[in-house]
Amino acid sequence: MDFLQFLGDNLQTFLTYTSFANITLGHVVMILVGLVFIYLAIAKEFEPMLLIPIGFGILIGNIPFKDAGLQLGIYEQGSVLNILYQGVTSGWYPPLIFLGIGAMTDFSALISNPKLMLIGAAAQFGIFGAYVIALSMGFEPNQAGAIGIIGGADGPTAIFLSSKLAPNLMGAIAISAYSYMALVPVIQPPIMRLLTNKKDRLIRMKSPRVVSQTEKIMFPIFGLLLTCFLVPSGLPLLGMLFFGNLLKESGVTRRLAETARGPLIDTITILLGITVGASTQATQFLTWDSVKIFGLGALSFVIATAAGVLFVKFFNVFLKQGNKINPLIGNAGVSAVPDSARISQILGLEYDSSNYLLMHAMGPNVAGVIGSAVAAGVLLGFLG
Amino acid sequence: MLMFAAASVQAQRTTSLKINEILVINNKNFVDDYGQVHPWIEIYNSSPGTVNIAGCYLTSDLSNPKQYMVPKGDVKTIIPPRQHVLFWADNMPSRGTFHINFTLDSIKQNFIALFDSDGRTLIDSVTVPAGQRADVSYGLIEDGWTLKNLREAQKTLTSYKNVTELWMYFDDHNNDGRYVTPSSNNKILDTNEKIENFKDNDKFGIGMTITAMGVVFLALILLYLAFKQIGNIAINLSHKRAKSTGLSHEEATGMVEQSGEVYAAIAMAIYEVTELHDEEHTILTIKEKSKQYSPWSSKIYTLRQIPQK
Repeated sequence: MDFLQFLGDNLQTFLTYTSFANITLGHVVMILVGLVFIYLAIAKEFEPMLLIPIGFGILIGNIPFKDAGLQLGIYEQGSVLNILYQGVTSGWYPPLIFLGIGAMTDFSALISNPKLMLIGAAAQFGIFGAYVIALSMGFEPNQAGAIGIIGGADGPTAIFLSSKLAPNLMGAIAISAYSYMALVPVIQPPIMRLLTNKKDRLIRMKSPRVVSQTEKIMFPIFGLLLTCFLVPSGLPLLGMLFFGNLLKESGVTRRLAETARGPLIDTITILLGITVGASTQATQFLTWDSVKIFGLGALSFVIATAAGVLFVKFFNVFLKQGNKINPLIGNAGVSAVPDSARISQILGLEYDSSNYLLMHAMGPNVAGVIGSAVAAGVLLGFLG
Repeated sequence: MLMFAAASVQAQRTTSLKINEILVINNKNFVDDYGQVHPWIEIYNSSPGTVNIAGCYLTSDLSNPKQYMVPKGDVKTIIPPRQHVLFWADNMPSRGTFHINFTLDSIKQNFIALFDSDGRTLIDSVTVPAGQRADVSYGLIEDGWTLKNLREAQKTLTSYKNVTELWMYFDDHNNDGRYVTPSSNNKILDTNEKIENFKDNDKFGIGMTITAMGVVFLALILLYLAFKQIGNIAINLSHKRAKSTGLSHEEATGMVEQSGEVYAAIAMAIYEVTELHDEEHTILTIKEKSKQYSPWSSKIYTLRQIPQK
């Protein structure tokens, strides 16, 4: 009889450890969010490389368990997930992602037509538009800065900055940034249509000139020196971005470049995605602030897109006929590479089936990467 | 060259040590491990890296720089970045690493210096004025600060506008937020001054927007100007090269401009080739081989065919 009692007690204790005994409504909501991410990634092919790891990470992070010091959760010091998460909290995953981005990015479009860089700068208004609104909603300046960076449309930058300025909001900011990056094809086209007329959309741009290898090699060196002398706080991101690009363009470090843009960035993307996803534990994540951050994230994307398109229209006033820029590439100033450039291409073809804007849009697109990293450096310098 | 660099790095690290706070008359303040009160000297590591103070010398006599050598082999002499270590000036070095072999004079002024492990390089020194009060410490206005730090702060922070001295007295009885703080920061930070500054002076974020967007534009304008010039030089060079070969510029560079349709066709062809396995990559097929031998270990199936000309 005692033995049966022992078995019964053991079973009862075991049941208290199961997720069924510890589940809350918050966990259910977050698991559903994770499933939606996975669905969007597989069925709609929205940023699958990001949404699959993040979506599955959300599932991992929201398996409820009894807090019994078993070192399971991502926030429990010394747990496996916690160790992997340190790359996010101490901010060394994002610069490694930037290394890979640098090693895979061809800056030729930008070098051949450097005035497109200014579009990449204009689109950063999204960051500061969201910053202003976040302040008015009662966020502290450091939190507003971290939220605003969502408008830069650059996941690694958003994670890097929020880990420094507002670590408690990082999960919501990262999820928001990646969600809206995946939703670029949904968010941007209506704004682009709204702010352009038929004449704008039909502008044909000159084919980019051929860029020599010397110019390509000089770009990362000058890029690093000019931007980081101005904003040293952007060094971790910009340094790695330009270093990766030099590996690619030097022509003598092919193996290193291939590693940076292949296995290395893939490894870091997996770790970053899964841990950012797992950091959304319902108990930590489901707050009213997270809801506000999602709203602000959407607004920042809208502002960034509008600022890019309107800036091109304004810029065109000063440009000679034949040198004008198609405003449909203005949206590409947000650094969601290459999705926003692809949107420019698709919309351009919609209005003129022989007007290919992809190469032109890649200019502001990669300038946006530089611009958002500079903006992050400025925010870190002012508020860090 | 590497040795020189390594030596200078080491030197740079020990030079980041600062004498930070001193309590000459300790009546009822901080108590040592033996339950006794003695004068103490706080050293601060102002660098972002760890510094080992072992081998350095503390002295109260400039003519005897090697008065007390901080013993080697004690892990506690490794000071983490921006952290402190406390030495008891009790003249009882037998009590351990942090009990030094001299004490401080409660009436006269005290000279205290920290020398590097060579016994010649002065890292930091301070003269504590005579007439110290009991349980009132004498310390740097902020941890590890130099006059340069103070001058820089005076340019941006209003709270330092009227400050003239780098050293000040810390008294627990004054309600000025400055307390005796052995082994911890001289200035207790309960707010981030930069953030407070923005909260007070830029409530709506307009200042931040203008400044930050200005910097972003400036950075990209600099890049634009640099590459505009570099581009012009590159174009001129290629023109010259074309002229010397008798070809047009486009012909010389091998880039005769094509229509958008041509580029689109090329892009489509590349897409078709690289995405060839999109459809069938999840399908596992087992087809029966008519050949007698197993293709499993056959090299012929693992080698690529030699391309035919």
